[in-house]
Amino acid sequence: MTHEMNHYFTDFQKFQNNGAAKSPAWVNDLRKSALADFEQKGFPTTKQEDWKYTNVAPIAKAQFAYSSKAGMVDPEFVRSLLVEGIDQFVITFVNGHLSPEHSTMEGLPAGVVVKNLIEAYITHNNLVEEHLTKYVQYQKNTFTALNTAFINDGVFVHVSAGVEVTKPIALLFISTVNNGEQTASHIRNLIVAEDGAIVNFLHNFASVEGVNTNLTNVVTEIIAKKNSIVELVKVQRESESAFHVENLYVHQHRESNVHIFSLAVGGAIARNDMSVIIDGESTECNLNGLYITSGEQLIDHHTFIHHIHPNCPSHELFKGILFDKSRAVFNGKVYVEPEAQKTDSKQTNRNLLLSDDAIVDTKPELEIFADDVKCTHGAAVGGMNETHSFYLKTRGISEGSARGILTVGFAAEATQKIRHEALRRHVDGIVVDHLRKKFGTGNLPDIVHG
Amino acid sequence: MIEIKNLHANVNGKEILRGINLTVKAGEVHAIMGPNGSGKSTLAQVLSGHPAYEVTQGSVTFEGQDLLDMEPEVRAHAGVFLAFQYPVEIPGVSNSYFLKAGLNEIRKSRGEEELDSMQFLKMLKEKMKIVEMDASFINRPVNEGFSGGEKKRNEILQMAVLEPKLAILDETDSGLDIDALKIVSAGVNKLKTPQNATIVVTHYQRLLNYIVPDFVHVLVKGRIVKSGGKELAMELEANGYDFIREEMLQSA
Repeated sequence: MTHEMNHYFTDFQKFQNNGAAKSPAWVNDLRKSALADFEQKGFPTTKQEDWKYTNVAPIAKAQFAYSSKAGMVDPEFVRSLLVEGIDQFVITFVNGHLSPEHSTMEGLPAGVVVKNLIEAYITHNNLVEEHLTKYVQYQKNTFTALNTAFINDGVFVHVSAGVEVTKPIALLFISTVNNGEQTASHIRNLIVAEDGAIVNFLHNFASVEGVNTNLTNVVTEIIAKKNSIVELVKVQRESESAFHVENLYVHQHRESNVHIFSLAVGGAIARNDMSVIIDGESTECNLNGLYITSGEQLIDHHTFIHHIHPNCPSHELFKGILFDKSRAVFNGKVYVEPEAQKTDSKQTNRNLLLSDDAIVDTKPELEIFADDVKCTHGAAVGGMNETHSFYLKTRGISEGSARGILTVGFAAEATQKIRHEALRRHVDGIVVDHLRKKFGTGNLPDIVHG
Repeated sequence: MIEIKNLHANVNGKEILRGINLTVKAGEVHAIMGPNGSGKSTLAQVLSGHPAYEVTQGSVTFEGQDLLDMEPEVRAHAGVFLAFQYPVEIPGVSNSYFLKAGLNEIRKSRGEEELDSMQFLKMLKEKMKIVEMDASFINRPVNEGFSGGEKKRNEILQMAVLEPKLAILDETDSGLDIDALKIVSAGVNKLKTPQNATIVVTHYQRLLNYIVPDFVHVLVKGRIVKSGGKELAMELEANGYDFIREEMLQSA
């Protein structure tokens, strides 16, 4: 343990005294054990392979206080985070705490539970205990250990067997202005889709406009049981001075179908770890994403797909657009066990550098122990394609407009992977708005898909 | 309209065009034919200003202006259009946005008023009839998921919208079945006026049955080695490019 970590232990005491000790004993035991792991592991340094390109020293050095309450948020702002033009269920957390006034759960179908974790400890203790932390390895990840030590609130979703939730569920995580006091929100989400369940999520992480140098440290566990279909679209657009870390753990049972999309445009440092265990035959896994960085932002995606069983396709497409002196990291690990024959794994990472000073570190990591598999990977880092740009110019389009149009096209190829139409439109809108700001022109096309 | 004099051009340091001379007047259709690797497509790309090609000698005058001195988009504003052999796909960007962006920049450069969406759409729908394109293509991403024939029709649609003075068609017949070839050619013919000119670059005579040239030029190793009327194309079709090479040897 280093002295930089001291305050987490004082905070833990405060957290315990402030009511955390009232949680079920198993939760509190979990916290204590995770705190010990956090103490033992400490914050990662760039000497560790998994953190080679992402220096979290600014996070380690900051004295983030435990955020003990929600804050006030303008309802207009909350509305701006929702999916336009459709009905949806909404559960909102402000600084990691449930905000009932900004949550709408009316009309949830029978067999569907969406509530905050604190309440679920009481109403669904057995289900929560059965799954919580069963898929994460907090011993191996400092941020997951820290999150688990401060495990308190977040969302619990349970979709019973055979139930299709036709409206998407929007989970809003809002961080407010911190006025100099840096706080940490340790958000914990647990999503269980039983056999044959179908459910779509929007995870929207946003900061209220203003100074925000907070840490949002999220752990999300998704359990997709046999034949279920889960789509999760994550939008991370926190303040460009904030810190964001999410560890996503997905456990897939046979014939389940999981689609994850990560749009990351916020954060001074943002790290997304996505880990998928394919624990059943004929399972389909799709991890896709788009990151847009500018200024001195650093956005990092680390993915890990563990193929244990045969006949499973897994597809990954991550694209990046980099402005200014920003940096991005993509590391895609695929591990294919000897039994996982007929694995069909495809990984692509493509990066568009719009500045000479932007840097991308991209690394595929394939470990294959089965002999009858199809595993491909490809990574590309480059500037604007000259031939594409030439095509536009021969139609009279200027250099500047051509760059904008082609950048939108580059982004659209990623967002195309989102299956839920309204969610895709939502993301497309955010992407184009963001690019308009970065290019400093309203003259960019809205995205259409074929 | 365009006067090409002693044009030499390199790509990656290798000389591809080795002294092209060609004059095209308004109202004319010229065909450039030649075997693979003769420099046909390079000529088309150089005239449109592809940055990968370096002009080392010679001049190109378009309507009295130095064409080589212009950026590709300025050439488009001046009235030069290239129909690509391999049109580029632009995911996420609708055909109509793309066309409107180009047309309005061209109009702006000429001091004309930009078209609003309503005016543009009305015009676009008329133009789409020329190449028998379905209205669904208006909002589809540019060329994405289009068949070979649809892409080439989309090229001619762009030509119809932008109304160039000089259209250069680069291997527009490649990858087309006979029905698509007829539609594309009919589109090109409908757009022909006494005020504009067309350069058709092709390997095969087939296209020239539908777009009938006034002049045919044979390009071999970066030079025009023979020029004639449309019958020259028939001759090439019957005898292949070898007879030209033999003639060259005999005259050498």
